[in-house]
Amino acid sequence: MPDVEVNYDDLNTVAKLQNTPRYHDLMKKVDEAIESGVPATMAKLSEDDPEYQLIVECNTLSVDIDNEIGVIHNYIRDKYRLKFPELESLVQHPIDYARVVKRIGNEMDLTLVDLEGVLPSATIMVVSVTASTTNGKPLAEEVLQKTLDACDRALDLDESKKKVLNFVESRMAFIAPNLSAILGSAVAAKLMGTAGGLSALSKMPACNVQILGVKKKNSAGFSSATLNPHTGFIFHSEIVQGSPPSLRTRAARLVSGKSTLAARVDATMGDRLGQTGRAFREEIQKKIEKWQEPPPPKQPKPLPVPDSDPKKKRGGRRLRKMKERYAMTDMRKLANRMSFNIPEESSLGDGLGEGYGMLGQAGSGKLRISAGPSKLSTKVKKFKEKKYGSSGATSGLTSSLAFTPVQGIELSNPSAQAALLGSGTQSTYFSETGSFSKIKKIV
Amino acid sequence: MALLGLSTLTHKQDVDAMIRDTLDKVLVLRFGRATDPLCMQLDETLGKSSRELSKFASIALVDVDAQEIQVYLHYFDITLIPATVFFFNSQHMKMDSGTPDHTKWIGAFHSKQDFIDVVETIYKGAMRGKLIVNCPLPADRVPKFELLYKDI
Repeated sequence: MPDVEVNYDDLNTVAKLQNTPRYHDLMKKVDEAIESGVPATMAKLSEDDPEYQLIVECNTLSVDIDNEIGVIHNYIRDKYRLKFPELESLVQHPIDYARVVKRIGNEMDLTLVDLEGVLPSATIMVVSVTASTTNGKPLAEEVLQKTLDACDRALDLDESKKKVLNFVESRMAFIAPNLSAILGSAVAAKLMGTAGGLSALSKMPACNVQILGVKKKNSAGFSSATLNPHTGFIFHSEIVQGSPPSLRTRAARLVSGKSTLAARVDATMGDRLGQTGRAFREEIQKKIEKWQEPPPPKQPKPLPVPDSDPKKKRGGRRLRKMKERYAMTDMRKLANRMSFNIPEESSLGDGLGEGYGMLGQAGSGKLRISAGPSKLSTKVKKFKEKKYGSSGATSGLTSSLAFTPVQGIELSNPSAQAALLGSGTQSTYFSETGSFSKIKKIV
Repeated sequence: MALLGLSTLTHKQDVDAMIRDTLDKVLVLRFGRATDPLCMQLDETLGKSSRELSKFASIALVDVDAQEIQVYLHYFDITLIPATVFFFNSQHMKMDSGTPDHTKWIGAFHSKQDFIDVVETIYKGAMRGKLIVNCPLPADRVPKFELLYKDI
């Protein structure tokens, strides 16, 4: 297929639908059908019925109209960009955009333009403010004319689409009786219109059906925290809005599931009378009622059999550390023991009072025993043992001055003395050098 | 009494069956009259705790005015009402609560928790093989009575 060079200047090359005979035929038929009113035979639109065919065609037509409006919107936007580039980001909806463009025209000063009724007032404000600082230039006369024509076309198409949808809605009970039994004909028609036909609707999964009709973008500056997520046509339908607010999301999910099933029944024309739909509706209502019931009253739990479960004993480092506080101390151990043939000393002397056992004996001369650090305490490094980056083996106590003992200065190394006591494996009361456990200089 | 969920026994074979068929659970038999106010107080305590103790105790009420039950009154020497007798696996369980009579409990309980404590003590003792247990309640919670000996 040769590349078609699209002439962007001419609208008709791009937007063709309105000129097709198909479009005109269908619109005429729709007008006639609207005038003729509801058909006399209430039920059973079979596939061969021309009215049914018309409705099916109307659905495809509404989709086509949507596409067409999109194309025209692009066209208008391209042309109007020279004048007011920011408008396309402020007003996304194609029909609203077309209306705004029509009202503004070639005007540079937006205070002279009245946008009431076309846009919500907040958006009007934003648009006015942006227009005052825009870097667009007024359009040439022919370009302006073409743009306004395109706007008119878009609005026309919108009108016809509305007409078609109204017609579909009025016939909805015959097209999809089950679906309209659950949701009502208006919502059902909207769903069908958005989905692009009954068969397209029936092919969608229920989660998508729930989302149909959700308004996507919110204008610049408005918070999206307050708006409900996923509130499409089904959420705003009567049956869901009739339930209490806390249950609405759940109800919407339930309704969309059942209505998808109903749509599938209708697409395959399983039940022309709509009984399935009515049954679904009742089921939905019953379920919503059940959700609102209070929970059953709680029975008091019977007590467990005494001594049936043995107590859970804990172990581990933490428990051992706690037990250390009440453990038998070394002092008490010594006091409890006695050596053979050596009488023990006692607190009141002469065998009266508490006995000291082996406590004061063995010639160490002291009644006290140093407590010693517990095995479980975290080791704290002594400050002077840390290395400050001493590079070599020189100890900090060396000096360049050389003193001999003759000269009468005695330098003692306190750390040497501490090393004597040092290792925890040797206990101190057997040592012959009576040692102090701490050596500290008293100033 | 229907409200309490406790069954009342009036026939001897019912009582026999109850004692025989309660296995590995403490059986609490209250001997008394439904119309007596002290009995009613005791009955309410028993009824309220019956579901909580259902895993290791079962409770039944015995009507003291029935003809067939007089045998039991004679056997257990029940003169003051209400009297509660405890069984475990068809063994009669005694409890020393500081009163002269260890074979039964006379009167109502001060609170539901007291009754639960008593039943739990009896269960623990019985599971260890004891036939007489010490009452866990302090002396002021035990109702005092005077033992009538031959109507003196």
